Amino acid sequence: MLKTDELVDGVVATAAPPARRLPPRSVVIGAATAVALVAVVLTLTQTRWLSGPAFAAWRTVCLAITVQALPFLILGTVLSGAINAFVPADLFTRVLPRRAALAVPVAGAAGAVLPGCECASVPVANSLIRRGVTPAAAFAFLLSAPAINPVVLTATAVAFPGNPAMVAARLLASLATAAVMGWLWLWLGREEWLRPAVRHGGHHAGHSRWQEFRLGFQYDFLHAGGFLVLGAMAAATFNVAVPRAVLDTFSGSPWLSVLFLTGLAIVLAVCSEADAFVAASLTGFSPVARLAFLVVGPMVDLKLISLQAGTFGRAFAWRFSTATVVVAVAASALIGGVLL
Amino acid sequence: MKRHAQTLLLVLTGAGLLHVALLTDLYLRYVKEGLHLVLIVSGVILLLLGLASAVLDRRPAHDEGHAHGHDHSRAPRVAWLLFLPALSLLLYVPPALGAYTAARTNGKAVTVRKGFDPLPATSPLPMTLTDFTTRVQQDHALAIRHRTVQMTGFVTPAAHGDGWYLTRIIFTCCAADSQTVKVRMYGGAAPPANTWLAVTGTWHPKGSLGTRTAEAALDVGGTRRIAPPVNAYTDDLPLTPS
Repeated sequence: MLKTDELVDGVVATAAPPARRLPPRSVVIGAATAVALVAVVLTLTQTRWLSGPAFAAWRTVCLAITVQALPFLILGTVLSGAINAFVPADLFTRVLPRRAALAVPVAGAAGAVLPGCECASVPVANSLIRRGVTPAAAFAFLLSAPAINPVVLTATAVAFPGNPAMVAARLLASLATAAVMGWLWLWLGREEWLRPAVRHGGHHAGHSRWQEFRLGFQYDFLHAGGFLVLGAMAAATFNVAVPRAVLDTFSGSPWLSVLFLTGLAIVLAVCSEADAFVAASLTGFSPVARLAFLVVGPMVDLKLISLQAGTFGRAFAWRFSTATVVVAVAASALIGGVLL
Repeated sequence: MKRHAQTLLLVLTGAGLLHVALLTDLYLRYVKEGLHLVLIVSGVILLLLGLASAVLDRRPAHDEGHAHGHDHSRAPRVAWLLFLPALSLLLYVPPALGAYTAARTNGKAVTVRKGFDPLPATSPLPMTLTDFTTRVQQDHALAIRHRTVQMTGFVTPAAHGDGWYLTRIIFTCCAADSQTVKVRMYGGAAPPANTWLAVTGTWHPKGSLGTRTAEAALDVGGTRRIAPPVNAYTDDLPLTPS
């Protein structure tokens, strides 16, 4: 019934063989857990603090981020599962330039073809690495895809009417950040920061492709979904706890405002299709600060850090996110300073 | 996480999405209308996946895991967190954002409009909060002066207990990117927070009309309670004639 060996972080953890676990018992345990969860939730609703408006708003925002991201997460996981089970192993290595330094910008520009939010790009980038794409190129794709796809650029143009420079600046700054991060990985990155991609490495002869696809999808979805909820909780906490009225106090100084909006992009975790409208509403801030908000938001935010930590490992997520923020702010300041 | 819990989790998440998107309109509290179909498809996919897992994976999967040295039968522990949104969607749906959020937000910046069409002659004239604000602050022809308008929204008490705002929360993608439109109300006692009202009245003269100094404010002539609209997160005119 239950398989006994499993790989945790690349290490074989031999669970003691529960040779004869009776199915009825695990059903009972599952049902009991579900009932207990419901009971806990229903009890919590009775306490006064948890029925207050602040907690209600927190639950609404948390659920909204999760519900909004679930379809994109499914899209990303389906794509990742399909790449894994159906795409021949050498396809990407044949299409991408052989030299890694050249593959990085090509992969970054290829991000334009994945429409949707940032949640979809994490599992896809992971499956690209498993299919032999050099990690540097996969990371350039991971960073650029949510920022430069046509849906997001159109939304930006709609949110900033009569200001095509903002769309151009967003495109260029995002591409530049993605490429620089890819090259930075080639230069300084170490394989051991990455959790070894051990879960499923492509199609195995003798196994049903559809079965592999379904199981891979299920594993990836549950895994990423859990981290998505974690990230959504963190983002909702900031979203509700930081009143927007506070923002205006920071809008005076041009440099502080860039850093402040960068921090805001990270904690708010607004979906990349909508962040342009939020940026447009931050009228007190300089255009460069708003550009930084648009460039950092799709690349680094609480739910993405959580998703990346789950997919690639914590050691990677912290280093990568920190470096990305620095590069993205620098790119926004440079390109924004010229164009805006 | 064991196989049965995974199956249960997939089925519950799928059922939760279908509950808010297919059986009811509750999803409009959280995300934009454009995601309707996508949510239904996602719910169906997860439900089918859960059912497939319940039916197909009952057989002991003998050699599969061992053959390539890893195991799909266990999902990581973090997946338990997915039970929270799944059960919340099914049993304990949170309310739409309301006065608590609106009171903590600055008013949304209105976009700059070049020209204005003449206002229709009906009275009271139904208007959205955004339209009213734009007219008051940007229309140099001052067409809004002396006109009786009707706007709908919910009540947000003002910060220091002096008066109230008629508000709408609007969002582009999901409730995390919400923005607030507010129009200040003068006259009449403040109704309880979150009450949905249709308010009739004329512009409250403060600042010079047609410029940024003009306050988006209304001298309240009359109020009428209305049912909360299905899609509360838009700044649209009510669909039913009022």
